[in-house]
Amino acid sequence: MDVYRLAQEEALVARARRGDASAQEAIYRAFETPVYGLARRICRTREDAEDVLQETFFEVFRSIQRFRGEGSLWGWVRTITASKAFMRLRRNRYRDADELDERVTEPPRDRTALRMDLEAALERLSETARAVVWLHDVEGYTHDEIARLMDRTPSFSKSQLARAHQRLRRWLGEEVQA
Amino acid sequence: MSHLTMEQLLELRAPGLEPGQEMVRTHLDECPACRAEADRLAQRIARLRALPTPRPSRDRFQEVRARYVAEGRGRRLRALALGAVALAAAVALAVVVTDGRTAERQDGRPTGLAAADELQGVMTRSQELEAALRAYNPDGRMLDGRTAGIALRIEDGLGAVDRQLEMLNMMQLGAQDLRREQLRLWRERVGLLDALVDVHLTRASYAGM
Repeated sequence: MDVYRLAQEEALVARARRGDASAQEAIYRAFETPVYGLARRICRTREDAEDVLQETFFEVFRSIQRFRGEGSLWGWVRTITASKAFMRLRRNRYRDADELDERVTEPPRDRTALRMDLEAALERLSETARAVVWLHDVEGYTHDEIARLMDRTPSFSKSQLARAHQRLRRWLGEEVQA
Repeated sequence: MSHLTMEQLLELRAPGLEPGQEMVRTHLDECPACRAEADRLAQRIARLRALPTPRPSRDRFQEVRARYVAEGRGRRLRALALGAVALAAAVALAVVVTDGRTAERQDGRPTGLAAADELQGVMTRSQELEAALRAYNPDGRMLDGRTAGIALRIEDGLGAVDRQLEMLNMMQLGAQDLRREQLRLWRERVGLLDALVDVHLTRASYAGM
């Protein structure tokens, strides 16, 4: 999904490569919200997502020489965002606690009839599962791409997605309608 | 055939039909319960896509820009410092060679010249590793958190060795002590660079697209 294509992207990138502050600011303004949005869906806290936002743009400005212009600038920025967000997850060593949380916070079966808001249900998923759902279903990443980003296998990504949808289905009270 | 699993329903949404999915597709066409499940899945994904995009609480552009500018300044300073280290090493090498002309070992071989050769060899190796690192372009690659931490520690170690090399020529050391210390530090530098090259070659993935 590439909805964030910039007008005069090539010229802007050329100026940003020279360290031009106004070009960097234009890139920041164009992608600030989608970068934060993606980071927020992957990271546990707002603070982590804001750090990822900062890390991402720092990396973008520093490495823009490497952007070859073969895809869109947003595609490149988005990959950096996802990488930085996963780095943050790994650095915070959330994964183990995260998987534990998932077992602990699973609502009891007799409460599953209580419908949850989609946003709340998404928030309730483990970070790994939420990231896979978001990258696959919303951002349009393939399982191979997700696997590369997460340093896992495509099968891991597939099973995470299926399990996440089973949980969402249950938490959203969809199975009682079946 | 029993009802489709979530994994099968998700696979059916992927573009193109994989071999072996014909039966799954046929089942979906014939089973109202699975069709309803597939519809719910499609609706859920549509609702996910329609969720509002969260926004950052404040503008951080100036912070990012300031860090970018500061890093550029830092890089220029590091390049200058590296130049100073190389210059100091060249001066030291000259001292060692001069010293070697007057001091001879018991076997008749001038100790200074042997040490100079060894030092020159280690410095050349150091330059080769730095060239390899530059060619590999570590700044354009992504590291996972753990590896980035390792790389950072090695770079800190390199910085410490470079500072010691700079300081060495300001110290009042005898020729033999100076030679020994230089050799030790340049060997340490080569060891750290070797480790850094290894980290980048084996663990990084390219961020440039």
